[in-house]
Amino acid sequence: MPYNRREFIKTSVALIAAAKMATPLKSIAAVAAKAKHSGILESTIRYVKSTCAHCVNFCGINVKMENDVIRAIYPDPERAPFYNVGICPKGVSGVFNTYNPYRIKKPLKRSNPKKGLDQDPGWVEISWEEAFETITGKLKAIRQDDPRKLIWQHGHGKYLIGDKFPKAFAKAFGTPNLVHRTTTCEAARHVADELTWGYHGFLPDIEHCNLLLNFGGNYFEAEQFARWLDHATTDAKERGMKIVVIEPRLSSTASKADEWIPIRPGKDVVLILGLARLLIKQNTIDEEFLLSTTNATALVAGDETLLKDDNGQLLVWDELTQSAKPFSDNVKPALRGSYLVDGKAYVTAFQHFSNSIEEITPAYVAEEAGVPEKKVFWLAEELAKQVKIGATVVMDGHKLRYRPVAIHTFRGLSAKEFGVQNWRAGLVLQMLLGSIDAVGGINLHSVYKKPQYFDASKAEYPPSRVDLQESVFFPHATHNVAQQVAQTVMDPKHYGLEYIPEMQIFYATNRPFSTSDSQKQFASLKKTYNVVIELVMTETAQMADIVLPDLTYLESWHLSPSRYTPRTKHTAIRQPLTNAYQIEHDAYSILWQLSKRLGILDDYVKNVNKQWKLKKHPLQTGQDYSAEQAVEQIWLEQTKGKDFAYAKEHGFIGKHLSVEKTYLSGVDKKFKGAGKPKMNFYAEQLVHTLANVKQQKKQHSLKMIDLDRYQLALSPLPKKEHGFPTPHREAKAFPFYLITYKRMYRNQSGNTALNPILNALGPDVQENFVLINQKSADQLSIKTGEQVVVETRVGKVQGKAKVIEGIRPDTLAISYHYGQQSLAFPDSAKQGIWINSVLENYSDVVSGMESFNDSKCRLIKV
Amino acid sequence: MAKLVRVIDMERCMGCRACIAACHMENHYTPGSPWNEMVEYENGTYPDVRTIFGTMACMHCEDAPCQKICDEINVHAISKNEYGVVMVDYDKCTGCGYCAPVCPYGVPQLNKQAPQSLYPEQETPYEAIPLAQRHPLHQKKNNVMEKCTFCWHKLEKAIIAGEPELIGKKPEYTPSCDLVCPVNARLFGDIDQQDSEVKQYIGKKKAAQLKKESGTNPQVYYVVRGGDF
Repeated sequence: MPYNRREFIKTSVALIAAAKMATPLKSIAAVAAKAKHSGILESTIRYVKSTCAHCVNFCGINVKMENDVIRAIYPDPERAPFYNVGICPKGVSGVFNTYNPYRIKKPLKRSNPKKGLDQDPGWVEISWEEAFETITGKLKAIRQDDPRKLIWQHGHGKYLIGDKFPKAFAKAFGTPNLVHRTTTCEAARHVADELTWGYHGFLPDIEHCNLLLNFGGNYFEAEQFARWLDHATTDAKERGMKIVVIEPRLSSTASKADEWIPIRPGKDVVLILGLARLLIKQNTIDEEFLLSTTNATALVAGDETLLKDDNGQLLVWDELTQSAKPFSDNVKPALRGSYLVDGKAYVTAFQHFSNSIEEITPAYVAEEAGVPEKKVFWLAEELAKQVKIGATVVMDGHKLRYRPVAIHTFRGLSAKEFGVQNWRAGLVLQMLLGSIDAVGGINLHSVYKKPQYFDASKAEYPPSRVDLQESVFFPHATHNVAQQVAQTVMDPKHYGLEYIPEMQIFYATNRPFSTSDSQKQFASLKKTYNVVIELVMTETAQMADIVLPDLTYLESWHLSPSRYTPRTKHTAIRQPLTNAYQIEHDAYSILWQLSKRLGILDDYVKNVNKQWKLKKHPLQTGQDYSAEQAVEQIWLEQTKGKDFAYAKEHGFIGKHLSVEKTYLSGVDKKFKGAGKPKMNFYAEQLVHTLANVKQQKKQHSLKMIDLDRYQLALSPLPKKEHGFPTPHREAKAFPFYLITYKRMYRNQSGNTALNPILNALGPDVQENFVLINQKSADQLSIKTGEQVVVETRVGKVQGKAKVIEGIRPDTLAISYHYGQQSLAFPDSAKQGIWINSVLENYSDVVSGMESFNDSKCRLIKV
Repeated sequence: MAKLVRVIDMERCMGCRACIAACHMENHYTPGSPWNEMVEYENGTYPDVRTIFGTMACMHCEDAPCQKICDEINVHAISKNEYGVVMVDYDKCTGCGYCAPVCPYGVPQLNKQAPQSLYPEQETPYEAIPLAQRHPLHQKKNNVMEKCTFCWHKLEKAIIAGEPELIGKKPEYTPSCDLVCPVNARLFGDIDQQDSEVKQYIGKKKAAQLKKESGTNPQVYYVVRGGDF
């Protein structure tokens, strides 16, 4: 009779219990000996620390290896004080990101010259040698002719090997055209930050916050910093922090909030300005903050420029001398009022703002934004009550401003035609509250790191880059313009590009699938010679001329990006656990090979050192570096010489930040007081940028530049008009607002669609749905599960309806990252709606940000 | 002696399903026979509506009806050990399915076939781990009942190591669903232990057993706002 494991356990446990008082060591030995002979094959178990790279949270993970097979992935408990407590289902099931028979295992060359989503490329396997020779041959010809004709695009690739290696390659090659995906993400939020305080990135100080207003940020489903925000906000809520989520759909984040305010899509800026108006009327604003730290006291002329002296210094109205003066210690600046200076009329920026929002009454907000008047009043009261203007708190001997109210957003405010202005409104509101860099407010990252963000854009023409970054078309697009590349490639002359792009290298990005109005993206891929470095045959890879396999995050070395919190930061690595399909190269070694074969390796290495700021531990020219060796040098540099063995054992090293670093190195240090630059309550640089845009249009006869559109977008202050994107104004015959959102179980790259564990988390995960409100569904006689067609001005998609209570009656929502089109994917991975293909795209002309949430649509029952 | 319990805090649960994924990965998921499931539904009407999130796996009842019925028909495939963990012996299970309808929580999963490969076309190294190398609870057979085991294969390691007091505390001795939760919505441990964390949590947050009226005395507690789910 076979040995029964359960009986063995029962016996052994009983033995242990009985023997506990007697000779525990002897009985445990007996149990262990029995386990050894139980018929179970022994295996070697070890745990390896690394970092997940499924998304941009970069969670610490602890990988269980069983005889060199990846058996399971757990969170790294050592990382919890610095970032993530747990990991999401993508991270848990990362085994199948690597063990995936759909992985590309060898270089492939197309034999069918016709490219299209409906065209079989006729892939032929080639050797790495042939692949490198072919690609290098093309690159050599381009470099000789005009290196700008090469475009490097990455998305997730930035987080696999970092953007510094590709940037070094692009520099050594001589092309300016390296394009990341931020305008499909949150670029508008970054640009709003940059215009306002000279760099980007912020976090709510959750530990001390008492009221969190969240405009469409969804950290319980997925977003940047989600794996810290999720547990931090959950703990803070138990502590007593109130959370108000303002968004059209009841997300998981809204579900866990104290209050869900279902605002009409696109109208957030109207609500924010309405709140600002009430706070100003009630005088519950932090005047001291406005006076000392912002340019709210600057004097605005009739042409919207600010009054300056001959040295370029901003002038304020001194209440003591009743004259216009630079802000100094002897000056008492006026916050409000209109003044005459040398016979010309000026008004303070604050007064200008107050005047401009006078019409935005609670009744107006109710009418346009769909938020009841009572709710607007209540929200303003809560803000005023919780913000504690004037309060201070002492931490570590430092007296600090205490304003425990924070406004948060990710794509909710930014993935819109007026994304910059929407988040500018959020920043202006927080300047009124004085909660910026205060304890409990929002904590800014690297304040004023790049003062040039306070300058006007030259609005370059002709554009030097294919994505038109910082050109007349997108004058403050400082984070590339991902979706624009395809449009420029289709018609370079139209945009004034002086060269015709010939080759595109896509690294770990499924860009065309992920943008709005995405069919246009695929059309452009027919115009260039494409090399795609990818894990699986995505839609973008299907359009390639050559596809190169890549290693996954569990198979490769990298100095991992890491996420900070207001009080911590850490440096982390990723290390390989396996090489499942014996793939010889990853993007790191591909770049190394290409550089070598092009004869630019030394230049590449020098640029790598520059990009990574490797001063004490540079890479040396004249020798090859494996990925591990390169990571070691970067680790040594970034940790000031901490042994690399430590990195391999622990996966990371963390640091707790001082109170001074967190609260006193930002706006208080850079902007507060006389003689310092000021935070831009009023973004004057946009006025000058508009003037440059007008100048360029006139000089070059740029008919495509719609000055009305630029005038509105480049406003120095947010206005109610920023709540009315083009589709809302034009698509009157389309009754529903259409918004999109992200679900936890997928990303856009497509490899998650092939993950059998992610597809087994419930009956609702393998496809997406058209979310419709119960009342609206009743009016249209639509039930859950029925087929419906969603039609926008771009096109139509069909899918299943899901009738819910948790969405506005005038709004439909469909999540991304479903509806895969790749011919190489099984049907099980291609279910659902490709919503991106019908989203209208009116990019934010300030930042280049794509609009994902501005469409209008019809709903038709099939 | 020791009684292992789980607490699931539905006020904290954000519905991410990491625990579902962890269970699948840890226990060689059989397609169609999940050991852990997310129950998600709306409560209320627009705009006064919330989504409730909660997961359900085996309750490891003190008076397990699945064990009772299995004993009554003289199969004796289901047992409950000294730590309160209810487990199935795949060698003994006849696949009759009687345990399924008697469970108030819908836990027993009668599989049709033991897991082959999660990718129909190819076995990955994960699936290629030999049966003989797997814990008996992962040596699944065709047409047997399978269910959550509180990751007994991990817990028994604590006992063998002489560290039972570290169950639920050391990651290697913690059920994987409880281990991965990003928001600390799950707790696992010995309710009979001195200074038991699970006991304190149950008391402090007023956690309750679901469907108590069924009389099975489950060892999984829920922090629920607004009643049963």
